[in-house]
Amino acid sequence: MVRPSDSQPKLPIDQLIIDEALSEESLEVDVLFVGGGPAGLAGAIELARLVKADNKSSGGIGEITIGVLEKAAALGEHCLSGAVVDPSAFRNLFPDLSDNDFPFRQPVKKEAVYVLTGTRSIRIPTPAPMHNEGNYVASLCEIVRWLGKKAEDLGVDIFAGYPAEKLLVKGDRVIGVRTAPTGLDREGNEMSGYVPGTDIVAKITALAEGSRGTLAQAYQEWQHIGAQNPQIYALGVKEIWETKTPLDTVIHTLGWPLPNDAFGGSFMYPLESNVVSIGLVVGLDYRQTGLDVHTLFQNMKLHPLFRHYLEGGEMVEWGAKTIPEGGFYSVPDRRYGHGIVLLGDSAGFLDVPSLKGIHYAMQSGIFAARAIFDALKKGESAAPYLAAYDELVNDSYILDDLYRTRNMRLAFKSGFFWGGAKATLMTLSGGRLFGKRIRVKPDADVPKRADRPKPFTPDGKLTFSKVDAVFKSGNATRDTVPSHLIVNESVGEEVARMYASMCPAGVYEVVDGQLRVNAPNCVDCKATDVLGPRWTPREGGSGPVYKRM
Amino acid sequence: MKIAVCIKRVPDTETRIKIGADGKSIVEDGVKFVLNPYDEYAIEEALQLKEKSGDGEVVAIAMGSAASQETIRGALAMGADRGILLQTDAVSVNPVTVAKVLAAELDGAGYDLILFGKYAVDDSSQAVGTIVSELLSLPSVSAIGHLELADGKGTAEREIEGGVEVVEFSLPAVVTADKGLNEPRYPALRGIMMAKKKPLEVKPVELGDGGMTVIQLALPPERPEGRIVGEGPDAVPALIEALRTEAKVL
Repeated sequence: MVRPSDSQPKLPIDQLIIDEALSEESLEVDVLFVGGGPAGLAGAIELARLVKADNKSSGGIGEITIGVLEKAAALGEHCLSGAVVDPSAFRNLFPDLSDNDFPFRQPVKKEAVYVLTGTRSIRIPTPAPMHNEGNYVASLCEIVRWLGKKAEDLGVDIFAGYPAEKLLVKGDRVIGVRTAPTGLDREGNEMSGYVPGTDIVAKITALAEGSRGTLAQAYQEWQHIGAQNPQIYALGVKEIWETKTPLDTVIHTLGWPLPNDAFGGSFMYPLESNVVSIGLVVGLDYRQTGLDVHTLFQNMKLHPLFRHYLEGGEMVEWGAKTIPEGGFYSVPDRRYGHGIVLLGDSAGFLDVPSLKGIHYAMQSGIFAARAIFDALKKGESAAPYLAAYDELVNDSYILDDLYRTRNMRLAFKSGFFWGGAKATLMTLSGGRLFGKRIRVKPDADVPKRADRPKPFTPDGKLTFSKVDAVFKSGNATRDTVPSHLIVNESVGEEVARMYASMCPAGVYEVVDGQLRVNAPNCVDCKATDVLGPRWTPREGGSGPVYKRM
Repeated sequence: MKIAVCIKRVPDTETRIKIGADGKSIVEDGVKFVLNPYDEYAIEEALQLKEKSGDGEVVAIAMGSAASQETIRGALAMGADRGILLQTDAVSVNPVTVAKVLAAELDGAGYDLILFGKYAVDDSSQAVGTIVSELLSLPSVSAIGHLELADGKGTAEREIEGGVEVVEFSLPAVVTADKGLNEPRYPALRGIMMAKKKPLEVKPVELGDGGMTVIQLALPPERPEGRIVGEGPDAVPALIEALRTEAKVL
């Protein structure tokens, strides 16, 4: 048995959170959103609007500068989701617009859920939380670019290509972030185009880094902010296909190709009738060291259900991302502090049974903006003035929804069939049956049986190697960037093999029994950050370049 | 020192280009647009010249749709002082038509130097900069790899087959930038913030009749899949045979 946490390096809190004099090149904004995803951008839009309205009615808040930092070279390039989107947060944020104005591809017309065996697909009634009437199929990349345009039109400063590398603090107060330097060689020496990190000082910093946010983790650890359960994660691997056979149905599947003791499922959504978004999601508490989500996904596409649509088509994009799956009990006890709030996936606002996070992320951004606005009006940024953010979230559909399904994902800790039965009873009883908190361990503490991955030979038509996959993610990271991964070099071969199977992008390889790390391959999915080597921010613009993910 | 840099918004070279149903335009939906890579060298050179001379003005000028404002903002974020968008939704493939509009803007504005990228990667006409110099009766030096200015004169190096040509010319002049002229800077965070406050003038323009139209666009032929003809020295004859009869390179 291998327990991943035994070989996992600690998060280097003392490097991620710094209390020192500002760097020479520093910049000041009033409010800084770290992460240009749905949460950060919705927050920036709402805040810019509130400020504008206040100044129009001579409320006296004055000019408020709002910045959004994004690590990708352009907005959306690191964003990945299924996605079937619940439009409610869009309607809240843009009351003057109609659904037709939003950057969605098409409404969900038909949906089907199947349980798969290796050769067959058995259609089952769609479980209640998975009903998608009134929702829309969309690309998160496109949503984010659209939100970015709206934010810019409102005067928000968007800094794309600038990862936040460190949290700047004074005592226990967050005062901003330092961006990652660019132009270092593999050994960390300055090259000709070297630009040091810039300190961005803000009255209030909103961390919206997405799933497994590095600074959000560091902040919670530093401030000892707990939760009833630790956060748990899944890894999703996804592709975009241009197909010859049209698809009109939102499809979800359970069962094969996953082992019975793994939690997860697949999705296939029509972005257009001949453009399909397809993926497989697996909980990182899986029980075998050799389980490889990328390979499982590749083999999954050979199933008649998917093959029917994909055959003769072309895979045009590939990507991977973790998903915070802990739900209600894993939401941090507080999501605010002195000069800081935590938003979206970084705070765990995601509902697994309905497979939704985007509208919760946006809504949390909206609430944070309202709390921030009120604090700024009072000239304050201390924790008590930001506590209203937690109250707004607690009293909203965000925590209501998460509470209703609080144990469903956790029930699957007892396996697919028993977990499925329990989850059904929970749904029927509105969450009251099996309502008591199911305790869970962090994913890295769940032991894995040592086994070897099954051999896999990609055919280059329906199935692809990790090398091809990384190419299709658009990843063109400079080969000579310093490694951003903190790896325990002394791990044995068994653990090294586990990393090699776990990482969908081929960052880890086992060569002559030794672990080899190909850091530039990394697509920032954060899977190994959950179970093994730690991820830290690297030069801006590194990583994938997603277009329609 | 007053310097104009003429820039263009083009599809990212990494973008998968799709040809539209009309067979003569590209599908812009989902295409990422960037500043023409050669124009980055032109902007960087202008900024360095201004910095060296201690004062002056760098003006970024683009012709294109409203979306080109974003491209100009990028140049302003790098450090250009102001921008001018010659706005039109019309697309002309005739470089003379484009050059005439640009020349009308540049004429009489007192520029000491007018910089272009050596070509725009979208249509590769490699002509607009040179035609502008002709229309303004200025010296024209294309595809420069090095530039020095002193006493109202310029010295430029151009890479030619097997060597380097060094030319001297009087100012004002039009030069086009080759790759390697310098190392374009990343816009600094402060630059991005300040770019929004810099003036960007939008002037609607009419394109004259170009007398030239695109009748067809075609993608390069798909590369056939690779094939392993065999392994080891025994495979050499088969490889030579394949190179001779299939690839026809021997």
